[in-house]
Amino acid sequence: MLLYQLRLALKSIRRNPVLSTVMVLGIALGIAVSMSFVSAYYIISGDPIPHKSDKLFYVQLDSWNPDNPFSDDDPTEPPNQLTYMDAMALMESDIPTYHTAMYKTVMVIHPPNDSVQPTQEEIRMCFSDFFSLFDVPFDYGGPWDSAADEGPEPVIVLSAETNDELFGGENSVGRTLRLEDQEFKVIGVLAPWHPTPKYYDPHNGSFDFAEPVFMPIHWAREMQVVNSGNTSGWKPYDNSYEGKLQSEAVWVQFWAQLDTQEQEERYAQFLTGYAEEQRAAGRFQRPNNHRLRDVNAWLEFWGVVDPSQRAMVIIALLFLLVCAVNLIGILLGKFLSRASEVGVRRALGASRMWIFSLHLVECALIGIAGSVIGLALSLAGVSYIQRLFGVQLDNPLDMTMLSVGIGLSLLAALVAGIYPAWRICRIAPGMHLKTQ
Amino acid sequence: MLTMQDVRKVYRTEHVETHALSHFSIAVNEGEFVSVMGPSGSGKTTFLNIAGLLDAFDEGTYTLDGVDVSRLSDREMSKVRNEKIGFIFQTFNLIPDLNVFDNVDVPLRYRGLGAASRKQAIEEALATVGLSARYKHYPSQLSGGQQQRVAIARALVGQPKLILADEPTGNLDSAMASEIMDLLEKINSSGATVVMVTHDPELANRASRQIHLLDGKLIDLAQERPAPLYDPSPAGQAV
Repeated sequence: MLLYQLRLALKSIRRNPVLSTVMVLGIALGIAVSMSFVSAYYIISGDPIPHKSDKLFYVQLDSWNPDNPFSDDDPTEPPNQLTYMDAMALMESDIPTYHTAMYKTVMVIHPPNDSVQPTQEEIRMCFSDFFSLFDVPFDYGGPWDSAADEGPEPVIVLSAETNDELFGGENSVGRTLRLEDQEFKVIGVLAPWHPTPKYYDPHNGSFDFAEPVFMPIHWAREMQVVNSGNTSGWKPYDNSYEGKLQSEAVWVQFWAQLDTQEQEERYAQFLTGYAEEQRAAGRFQRPNNHRLRDVNAWLEFWGVVDPSQRAMVIIALLFLLVCAVNLIGILLGKFLSRASEVGVRRALGASRMWIFSLHLVECALIGIAGSVIGLALSLAGVSYIQRLFGVQLDNPLDMTMLSVGIGLSLLAALVAGIYPAWRICRIAPGMHLKTQ
Repeated sequence: MLTMQDVRKVYRTEHVETHALSHFSIAVNEGEFVSVMGPSGSGKTTFLNIAGLLDAFDEGTYTLDGVDVSRLSDREMSKVRNEKIGFIFQTFNLIPDLNVFDNVDVPLRYRGLGAASRKQAIEEALATVGLSARYKHYPSQLSGGQQQRVAIARALVGQPKLILADEPTGNLDSAMASEIMDLLEKINSSGATVVMVTHDPELANRASRQIHLLDGKLIDLAQERPAPLYDPSPAGQAV
């Protein structure tokens, strides 16, 4: 019976193509606007590493000025990065399963093909644990080992896009690449990897793509390159490279993976002990105030999901509601114009429920057609929002969002159709059989 | 076949109350061909709508084929309409974007029959009305008489016991009207009870019984013919 209703509904839609197109476009527009915002919000607010986001902790220590808090907005908040000295000291702990100090810098890359101009690219300086911490996927090779960290050995890992650009996407493991004046051997090539938001470093663009090159952190010291991200300081220091490394300026990020509660407690004790040790040595003159924030707490702290974005989503959904309300009027007119046909069908044995469901099937078809066009339009909408908010979304419409789009469209069309379908199924058939 | 007892139907608007049927009683026997006459507004169509379970009534009882249908649910009434009643309308009431085959198919769709059974029934009904060759035509491609014959095929296809015809020849010329009457007589002779509303005394006279309505009341049980065209007794059916 459903197939018969589908056939009749399609005939009805084809009977008045202009009106049907208006209805489908109405729904499509509502879906395009709402899905653009919903999908952007979904990606922005989603857990970027759901299977271990509660085990990855961003570490903060309070090495700041004893006379002034780091943040005037929240005086209890410790600095959002570590000093180089503290970051390297924390690397000595064997409590975390994985841990890494890291920061972003910029270097000149000399492409292997001399005809291509050298370019300046962002480099992520980190320890080898970085790749295990964040479950970074590899296409070729793998991460460097801890010996390469300490050497440091001249090895690098390339992003998939960089490998495409420099080596045409082939396996470049073992090839060499010159960064600044140093030759490096490619030890691994990542599979496409764009954590959204870029939770491991929201300081430097929450929605930027991951860096094109990853390098053992100690090469920065060898090559005397400074960080390119945010640096905050409260105590004057010698303006040399070594002076910055030994200073109280904070510019290094630090992540640790703590798999168990016991690990977490031990690590917290370790941080307390470290702070007391430093206090005894004349640093850390503020009360003990370390922080271990997991991924989602860290993103929330950074306000990656802005309340205004939530408001935009609500407004976008209200727009869909307005489209659905408009659809009610059109459907009502269309359905009631078919009263004589409905009267005939009722006389020939159709129950009210059958008439009701026939008209809802038509609404569902309109909803599905609207969702297809609406989702296509929402791709353009997401692209616009990306530009508007300066956000880069790798896969704006995944299966979940497609399902949500189709579901929302169906729901809007069915909700809009309930009243018109109810009205037409309640008509007195005898009233409409005398004339046609 | 059809018995109404003291049926009352009042149409109410904000200011006016119209008594469409008042203490209306009638009995139509199985196999009869009854014509219903009366001036406009006398209650003919109201009677037909109530008889066809297309309209509710305020008081009285209505028994159809031995079943009290006075207080059935919508689903039950739809089933009775589908299985026991065939409708023929003055304006044919074919569905314009369905072809002849699909129009005749409509009542069978509500019975949940398989495609093969439906096809056979539709072909038989179209053969009865002489339109087998036109099954792919759309209503707009047919003459008025042909459209009414499709409507008759649609009324027949489910083999209902009762045919309700509301001025079936009202939109046709006299030659075509006579053809349609021939068809209705043929249907009646094959066993169906026919109740036909008409304004035409000549056509009314071709029925086995005529009744007259005035102001919602049955005023005259007209003369009966010697015998109905169809004899429902086993002996009659054997003939």
